[in-house]
Amino acid sequence: MEENAAPAAAPPRERNVLLLDLSKSMLAPLPEPQNGHAEHQKIEVARTAVFRILQDAATSSTLFGLVTFTETVRVPVPLGEIRKENLPYIENLISMLAPSGRSAIWDAMAVGADLLRMGTDGVRGNLVLVTDGWDNASQRFDVRASPEAPIAAGRLDLGPYMLPANSHLTLRIIGIGNGAERDKGVDAGRMNLLLAQLTDRAQQLGLPPAFSFQEVTTGSALFAQMVHAFIDVGYEGDQAIEELHPEELARHAASAARALKEPQQHATVSRIQTRRLPPPPAAEAAYREAPELEIDVLATGPAGAPAYLKERYGPLGEIVEAYLTSQYDRALQLLARSQAVLPAVTRLYWEARVQFARHAVVEAARALLQAWTEADRLPEASQVPILRRLAMLQARMQNDKETETLVRFIDNAEHGLVQSDPVTRERLMGLFGKLMELRGTYQLTRLAGEGDLQDAALKHEAAVEEVFSLLQDARLDLSVGGPVIEGALDFIEICLAEMR
Amino acid sequence: MAEVKVTTRTRRTAASKREAKPSVDTTRIAVVGIPASGKTTYFRFLSGHFGLNLPILYIPSRADNGTLPLYGDLENDVALEETTYETTDPTDPEGSLETTTRFYVNRPMEDRRKLWVELSAGREDQGILTKYPLPTKFNQFVEMKMRFRYGAPGGEAGSRPMELQTIDEAGGIISDYFTYDRLWLDTVEAEVSEKTCRVIPHFDSWRPDRRDLWRRGLTLLGRFVTGADAIILLLSPALASLRDQAQQVNLARGVFRYVKSRNLPLVIAISKSDKLKEFYSEIEQAVRERTFLSTFDPVDFLLRRDGAGMGTILVAQEGRGLSTKEDVFLVSSAVSTGEGHPLFIGESGEESPSAGTQTMGVPVMVNTTLPLARACERVLERRATKGG
Repeated sequence: MEENAAPAAAPPRERNVLLLDLSKSMLAPLPEPQNGHAEHQKIEVARTAVFRILQDAATSSTLFGLVTFTETVRVPVPLGEIRKENLPYIENLISMLAPSGRSAIWDAMAVGADLLRMGTDGVRGNLVLVTDGWDNASQRFDVRASPEAPIAAGRLDLGPYMLPANSHLTLRIIGIGNGAERDKGVDAGRMNLLLAQLTDRAQQLGLPPAFSFQEVTTGSALFAQMVHAFIDVGYEGDQAIEELHPEELARHAASAARALKEPQQHATVSRIQTRRLPPPPAAEAAYREAPELEIDVLATGPAGAPAYLKERYGPLGEIVEAYLTSQYDRALQLLARSQAVLPAVTRLYWEARVQFARHAVVEAARALLQAWTEADRLPEASQVPILRRLAMLQARMQNDKETETLVRFIDNAEHGLVQSDPVTRERLMGLFGKLMELRGTYQLTRLAGEGDLQDAALKHEAAVEEVFSLLQDARLDLSVGGPVIEGALDFIEICLAEMR
Repeated sequence: MAEVKVTTRTRRTAASKREAKPSVDTTRIAVVGIPASGKTTYFRFLSGHFGLNLPILYIPSRADNGTLPLYGDLENDVALEETTYETTDPTDPEGSLETTTRFYVNRPMEDRRKLWVELSAGREDQGILTKYPLPTKFNQFVEMKMRFRYGAPGGEAGSRPMELQTIDEAGGIISDYFTYDRLWLDTVEAEVSEKTCRVIPHFDSWRPDRRDLWRRGLTLLGRFVTGADAIILLLSPALASLRDQAQQVNLARGVFRYVKSRNLPLVIAISKSDKLKEFYSEIEQAVRERTFLSTFDPVDFLLRRDGAGMGTILVAQEGRGLSTKEDVFLVSSAVSTGEGHPLFIGESGEESPSAGTQTMGVPVMVNTTLPLARACERVLERRATKGG
């Protein structure tokens, strides 16, 4: 090991700015046509969603900023890291934001772009605009009515301002209400014009065109658009890595190793992946219309369901709540009602999970199969952890304890490492990845004929040694990393010993 | 008991301890294994054979009916030397160690069964001969040195002084040292650092005195294996705990790496093979019918039936400094009746009852000296190739 080697540079952190409309019209109720759902003011739904986004930012260490606008643009939360200890203050501040006045949408977007501006590197990050109206108060910026139309006197053209050269901007506009009629909803025409101009400009500059506009007309849909989530809850008897007795840990690891050693009996393992290293450069990432899914596994204690599920996760939270209280039929009804607002993979996964809980194995298997198909369409960042959740459910359905243990351990480790620095996280997940790759060389030792056996055994042993070498370096570098890291390294070490 | 124990009890640091200097051409062979792999028994029985004149029976007999050219070192009165290193005060900020040395000398025993009975008893019943004053493994380890001679078969070239060495009560230290190659020392003066010790899982969470003792043990082990001419690896096929199994596999992989990097001869002894039912039944038959020759095939058992859980690993090592046919032995120092009772063989060759004070019998040892003889043979072969 080279002790003086320079530490690897940390990957750039995600930068997100939310632009929230606080004009008076946000006080209006948002219809909720589904039975049993009370109407909420637009601002109430948006505020709840912002709380949720903040919590997620505090957990994932992404950078987050909030811009609010009436006829005045304000920055209540400057772009920065959201620390958990500051959350109550920020949430308190947001709860006091009261809608009033008109909407300076274009000026707010320019301020949002300014937060994401990085000198000559242009504007870099994700901008999400939530508005229910038409721009009627901007003083500094304007959007051309057509490519040839002039800009109002004294104003700047918003498109070039938001998208200078070298930028890497993702813009998502969530428009509340149908804007066909003025003051009844978002100005869809103008928004689409802005997106078209930004897309043209991106093409001229050779930048990825990552701009989208979605209209929502119900409270559930607004929440689902703002909090695009795949949430899951653990299974009964799940135990965190750091809580395991060493002998229990060894038993789990030995069981998991069997899933690696016997691929025929544990086919599900081949469907899971660990994150690839290094992450692909952002500029080459394929743009997708769907925003990245927020993925979370909620802790359930002896007291039952986590508090405020519905408030935190909208319709999905309500489904999870019904599941946790064993109201499976209600959970299925809610799933059917929320079909339009839930991501497909989330809906199908929960359908499978609920059906399995009510012992409808065929229906569960059918839904899970569809969920696998949907998961295959997801971008890699969302796909990897979701595939693991699907694999865990499948292992449960097949009573495949070995695979379940393996997947749960990897998942548990990644979840426990959320607070660790990204380099450590990637390093450990990389080790898990290497461990998974040993399936290949091990399998060759089982399949090899008499003549090739030694060659296969040699290759396998060399592969094991390589992983073990990486493990030793990780032990030395991360010796004060805490129980989750120690537990993960112990698990890998025992699995390595079992791969013999 | 006829053996003479010369005990010195002095408080001093490990560095200032006076060490017995072996003669210049002494060959040193290190015995390594995880906790409870049989290191103590292996040493005590071998030293019993060479030094204490214990009557023992070897099964199966060598195919060529030849004798093994292993002898007691009669020029050296001390057959076995044990030095206990222990921390007496965990709160002592200076971290000093107390050392106690015992010497076992070449004297015939008055009661031939005495040594056997003590060695075969459970740890809690064992006397001072088999175990050490303090019960915990965490505050002591014992350096063991056994002196003997090896001569070429036929004895035409005379015999050479040899030394068998291990650290007893320290299977954990041995496992850690070989498992984690970041700990390996390259010279006999080098020291394992506290920082490097962090490669050992949870090392930082240990008590400071245990950390210090462990580091010293690793250093002591590192130094003597750096100067070793060969290694005997003891593997136990009867490990109930998954952690122990993992520890043993990791140790084995580490030892393979070590001998490869140092170009050292390695011999493997699968100890406690009386726990292997199939093997045991053949030995039992050999005990009853002296003409019976065992057909048990250790290679087949180890490789194809994964006897010690290391089939693939051994296959990978085949021909790379190790021959599974010639360098791997199933050994047993105490053939039991399968229920943990020692099997005594009376003068008539019949099994004797193990209870009662009047029972006469001898323990049955299986292949015990073969790994040692093979290690000596390989050391001499290596020297001859190198012109030494």
